[in-house]
Amino acid sequence: MSNEFLSIEDLHIHYITQEGTVKAVNGIDLKLNKGETLGLVGETGAGKTTTALGILRLIPNPPGKIMDGKIILEGRNLLELSEEEMRKIRGKKVSMIFQDPMTSLNPVMTVGEQIAEVIEIHEDVNKEEAKEKAKEMLELVGISGGRAGDYPHQFSGGMKQRVVIAIALACSPELLIADEPTTALDVTIQAQVLDLMQGLKKEFNTAMILITHDLGVVAEACDKVAIIYAGEIVEYADIESLFASPKHPYTQGLFASIPSLDEDVERLNPIKGLMPEPTDLPSGCRFHPRCPYAEAKCSEMDPKSVEVGAEHRVKCLIYSGEVSGKGIENE
Amino acid sequence: MHKYVLKRLLLLIPVMLGVTFIVFGIMHLTPGSPARLKLGEKATPEQIAALEHEMGLDKPFIIQYGNFVKNGLKGDFGRSYLSNKPVFEEVLDRFPATLKLAVAAMTIAVVIGIPAGIISATKQYTLVDSVTMVLALIGVSMPVFWLGLMLILIFSVNLGWLPSSGASTWMHLILPSITLGLSSTAIITRMTRSSMLEVIRQDYIRTARAKGVPERKVINKHALRNALIPVVTVIGLQFGSLLGGAVLTESVFSWPGVGKLMIDSIKKQDIPVVMASIIFIAITFSIVNLAVDILYAFIDPRIKSQYQ
Repeated sequence: MSNEFLSIEDLHIHYITQEGTVKAVNGIDLKLNKGETLGLVGETGAGKTTTALGILRLIPNPPGKIMDGKIILEGRNLLELSEEEMRKIRGKKVSMIFQDPMTSLNPVMTVGEQIAEVIEIHEDVNKEEAKEKAKEMLELVGISGGRAGDYPHQFSGGMKQRVVIAIALACSPELLIADEPTTALDVTIQAQVLDLMQGLKKEFNTAMILITHDLGVVAEACDKVAIIYAGEIVEYADIESLFASPKHPYTQGLFASIPSLDEDVERLNPIKGLMPEPTDLPSGCRFHPRCPYAEAKCSEMDPKSVEVGAEHRVKCLIYSGEVSGKGIENE
Repeated sequence: MHKYVLKRLLLLIPVMLGVTFIVFGIMHLTPGSPARLKLGEKATPEQIAALEHEMGLDKPFIIQYGNFVKNGLKGDFGRSYLSNKPVFEEVLDRFPATLKLAVAAMTIAVVIGIPAGIISATKQYTLVDSVTMVLALIGVSMPVFWLGLMLILIFSVNLGWLPSSGASTWMHLILPSITLGLSSTAIITRMTRSSMLEVIRQDYIRTARAKGVPERKVINKHALRNALIPVVTVIGLQFGSLLGGAVLTESVFSWPGVGKLMIDSIKKQDIPVVMASIIFIAITFSIVNLAVDILYAFIDPRIKSQYQ
């Protein structure tokens, strides 16, 4: 328990709107050790970004509200801190890389200023020193320090994302949350940015939560994976066991949807159906309307998380023995 | 950047030609003869015809306009029919009063309007926001002449605190600048609010918060500068039109500015003064607009890179 760096317990986040309450995150539990990378995988709207923003307490309020739960970072529950204490954690202990580099940088400030700003806030340095360090950070992410005086519109998308990474890493955070850092980039730049992040993460021994919907990225970068569906973690495992034997029907569906290299397929093999409307989640197991193994019980019982291996947990009635799960592939 | 400014200044030439042509045309179409006006009611038709010939008013319109432009290029826009002073001298005599009033009114508008807009936006849907918006709505809806009269009624007639007309002391400036500034305040407040509301939802504001930037700084440094472009545009437009003389306010308070001069000259059909006032207004308006466009470049580097 002692090497546990971050632990999220039973986190609930809702968006309360006039059209109804959007239950974005419903009882998420997560644990992360120092230096580890956790992949948070799920479809758009599954609650990945909301969870991440919740850790930083940056959920737009209104309409968003953290209803319940604990986010414990090194023994302190972040949800009980004052706004001022929280502000000191943001950018310093925990920092975040956002999805869209095109819009994540302030268009009227030079990139140097934007990197220097975070250094000035959290470290005991004067303006000049902060500027110097900002240049070093730029060099670190592979941009010439001489470009510190340039504005975001003078950079390409991939370079902007490097600047965003430089901002996030400027104060050597202990936890880095990367929200689909490569989604907005083209494939060649994706690989570069991932490599860069991996390298820097090792250098600073940073723990990382990598949000993505790309299982390829997960395979390359993560130690552990949490599969998230409709605001719940349906499967949690280390990378080897997840790729070797995915248990949850949803996870299996995700893997099945990836076209194989050595088979000729006419059509892609998607998971049938759509993500449920988050204002109107199905009863019982949230996945049962789309699950090929669902039985009547699935719509009545809320599945509990069950251990199926060392650090491999699944939230499915098949594995708690309530439902037969006839036909499911299981090593 | 220099090239851009030069280009814009050169563009003033066709603008001025267009403005003078339209105004000259309108004046030409208005009934009544300047010669008759100059000579008085008792003049005989022969006398009028002789003076019209002397003034070149019997020539075709296009020739008259040509002569006007030709003289104008030499700096000669004619003399006032009434005072017989060169017209531009008349206008420039009045300009300091107008400038003083415009600056005072805009100062009020900016100092109140921008902070009110920011507060309203950051506290959207709260009581503060609703009250501010209702006040702003009242501000834009109140007719200037009515507001001026009400202020005179309260502060000059009933309370006797402030003078109601003239421009000799700074006390005289208070009521007209409030009258004139109030609607601009309201417009700037509304503009700042809506622009801020849009900006504070942007991703880079979230980035700033995620960096641990204090909320005050997020608003005043990161958001405000991005929200400023439309606000500066409105300020420029307002200031430009105030510089051209606030006709109603100046009339209500007998403020000796360009606006009052123009109204008085129209009433007395002093055509050269009217022409000069309008040309002057057009020039100041264009220059203020240019200044605003240059200001954009300092606010937003993306715009600066376009000014090549």
